[in-house]
Amino acid sequence: MTREETKSGDAILRMEAIVKDFQAVRALDHVDFDLSAGEIHALIGENGAGKSTLMNVLAGRFADYRGRVAVFGRQVRLTNPRQALALGIGVIYQELSVLGNLTVAENIMLGHEPAGRLPGTIDRRALAARARAVLEDLEFDLPLEGRVAGLSHARQCLVEIAHAIREDVRLLVFDEPTASLGAGDVGRLFEVIRRLKSRGIGIVYISHRLAELSQIADRVTVLRDGKVVGTRPVAGCRVSELSHMMLGRELTEMFPPKRNTPGKVILKVRGLARPGAFHGVSFDLREGEILGIAGLVGSGRTEIARAVFGADPARAGRCEFLGRPISRPSPRRCMARGIGMIQENRKRDGNITASSVARNVGISVLDRLANAVGFLSPRRLHRSARRTIDRMDIRPADPARLIQTLSGGNQQKVILGRWLCRDPKVLILDEPTQGIDIGTKAQIYRLVMDLAAQGKGIILISSELFEIVNLADRILVVRDGRIAGEVPGPGTDVDALFAACVGEPIA
Amino acid sequence: MSATPPSSAAPKRTLRPSFQLIQAGTVVLLLLALCAVSAIQTETFLTWQNLIYNLLTNAAYLGIIACGMTFVMVAGGFDLSVGSTTTVCSVVAVLALQALTGQPVWVAIAAAVLVTAIAGALLGAVNGAAISYIGVNPFVTTLSTMLVFRGIALILTHGGQTESVPLAMKETLSQLYWGKVPLFGSQAHQVTVPILVFVGVFAVSLYVLRLTRFGHYVYAVGGNENASWLAGVNTSLVKAATYAICGVTCAVAAVIYTGMSNTAQASSYYGLELVVIASVIVGGTPLGGGSGGLLFTLVGLLLLSVIENLLPQFGIQEEYRNIVRGLIILVVVAVDVLARGARASARRT
Repeated sequence: MTREETKSGDAILRMEAIVKDFQAVRALDHVDFDLSAGEIHALIGENGAGKSTLMNVLAGRFADYRGRVAVFGRQVRLTNPRQALALGIGVIYQELSVLGNLTVAENIMLGHEPAGRLPGTIDRRALAARARAVLEDLEFDLPLEGRVAGLSHARQCLVEIAHAIREDVRLLVFDEPTASLGAGDVGRLFEVIRRLKSRGIGIVYISHRLAELSQIADRVTVLRDGKVVGTRPVAGCRVSELSHMMLGRELTEMFPPKRNTPGKVILKVRGLARPGAFHGVSFDLREGEILGIAGLVGSGRTEIARAVFGADPARAGRCEFLGRPISRPSPRRCMARGIGMIQENRKRDGNITASSVARNVGISVLDRLANAVGFLSPRRLHRSARRTIDRMDIRPADPARLIQTLSGGNQQKVILGRWLCRDPKVLILDEPTQGIDIGTKAQIYRLVMDLAAQGKGIILISSELFEIVNLADRILVVRDGRIAGEVPGPGTDVDALFAACVGEPIA
Repeated sequence: MSATPPSSAAPKRTLRPSFQLIQAGTVVLLLLALCAVSAIQTETFLTWQNLIYNLLTNAAYLGIIACGMTFVMVAGGFDLSVGSTTTVCSVVAVLALQALTGQPVWVAIAAAVLVTAIAGALLGAVNGAAISYIGVNPFVTTLSTMLVFRGIALILTHGGQTESVPLAMKETLSQLYWGKVPLFGSQAHQVTVPILVFVGVFAVSLYVLRLTRFGHYVYAVGGNENASWLAGVNTSLVKAATYAICGVTCAVAAVIYTGMSNTAQASSYYGLELVVIASVIVGGTPLGGGSGGLLFTLVGLLLLSVIENLLPQFGIQEEYRNIVRGLIILVVVAVDVLARGARASARRT
């Protein structure tokens, strides 16, 4: 299709009254959003507020949205990703979609390989030349023929960006591009974004880091529970104002008052190491203590926790639980001793797909529910599931429901309930509130505090630093697979903690 | 969490059937329709002779193995070696009986059954160990053991066939296949021993898979092996055990068939694995596991057996029969895929 030349300030995109439902859950509720050429429009909101859903509508991933979308003033109905690409819409997802087994050049030109002379072949020389042109244009310093798998995460991000930016791109979406970048990389990324802006490309910028918006964005739209709370010019907007708009209440109301008192050491970790993942990790966890672990994605915090739980092997070091070492740790042994872990990736590591809520809750206590010969009374299983459903307020309250039909928050409650049935002495929570609505988050915070007050030891890993700051008694900062420092939970500032995570000295 | 959550409106309770039930429903309807058509079209179909002595007795030995296969497939596995395992078991049964010549008949048979069952369990355990402890793909493992076991049978039989079982045992042994038991005391309506054995195996399997901790773990491992392991389930043992169970069902089927032939051949039961796997899949247990189950397998088995029974009755030539068999499997599974697709596009995420 022919494309109109755009000048800075022209409207590129107008989305009106967008509605998108996921079964019973309304993810977007009459959302309006617009973007002009050469503008950087930030989109913020909590996890589950609808940011990604809105951008997925724009990327053509949902055919069944309602509402109107106009691109360059022309009404369009976005039904598939190919169509969105043809309209000049590019999306850089937070979860990188680069192919590690291909070279940088192949990744950049993926889907746009120049045809060779023989039918079906690729002109490899032209491919390399065009990829080089793209990189030079963006001033990225990347090895054209290097395998992407061998690059650092930050450089893989650059490959992803280079892939999304083609000559005909008019609108670019950055979905949390800085979530796992250090300070230096963030600076370089901002330069790239400003350069794109100066060419008249419209940019949607999704981020959790409110503080960085003033450096980069022109306007900001806040989403909460699928609705637009407001759209403001960034100039003169304070972070506290934005966070209030995002949360709908003051941060402090979300968190229960501290009621726990750390007691004697329950879990001792000494010199835990696995080459390439983490080194020399030592810490103690006390009864009734909430120990936060903060760090960037890829810093090794999940790997450390999984090694403590025996889900991944450690090459060196040991863990002692109640004074006795855990020999040859495995999830089964740890569970038998009284350690539980909620995994970060619910779909991969948590849900038992195609099984009922009752079975998902019961899985870790079947040995207690069954009799000596392994007989398991369906009624007992059902009753036990009902108790958990009531305790955790799982909705719908139906033990026979298949787990995948529940909302993310309720799935998480099922998995939490699974471990609470077991009544562990130590509970490791890896991103327990990821992709969960704000109400459920508050419930989970209260639950964590209750457990700690009962004397359980809790290890809390989270990317939402304000969660850690508000819940934890102590916080370990993990960077490049090492414990880089420790700060007290109460009184620590989120920005200072973030700075510590990206490697600036702890104040 | 005692606090009341904010306005998360209670979702409507929808009674939307799962695609699994859609498929099972399709299979049941197809089964009933076929039976109705053939009851009207042919005079022979709806007779006790045809249904019980013919159709169900033939289905019984497949059904016994299909019970074991259901365990394997619900746990997300796959076993191509059941035909060869059954062959080895039948050879072992005959050799055991020969070794027990001179013992009281029932003692000899009981001992032979036990030895055969152990052999079946061991062969299954070989598959299970390679798959769950070493981590070889089930397809590759059982493809290879399919050949290896067949080779073992050839060696044990010294090149093809065992000698017949001792004369003294023949009559009693043949009751295992040919024996009939009057149903409700009516001599006109008898059921065969293979059917009774199948019912027994099915009932035990149903109990284990539905009502025991182990059975729940089988579903859990098939649903999400990784998550089950992280929830403290001994997933390796569960997976390995399903193959051992499958091996035992092969042994049971082998003993019954020994009753028919009184001898064992290294070349028997070729292609058995395909029919058994087809029954499980047509019934609705998906490749990859996690759902489905024995009742589904029963329906799938009956459908395939009815078709097998009808092919000659409808005068379908031998050379066309494989096309019909193949197409039926494809059609039934396609219905499942379409139902799945319709649901997926209804809530694509």
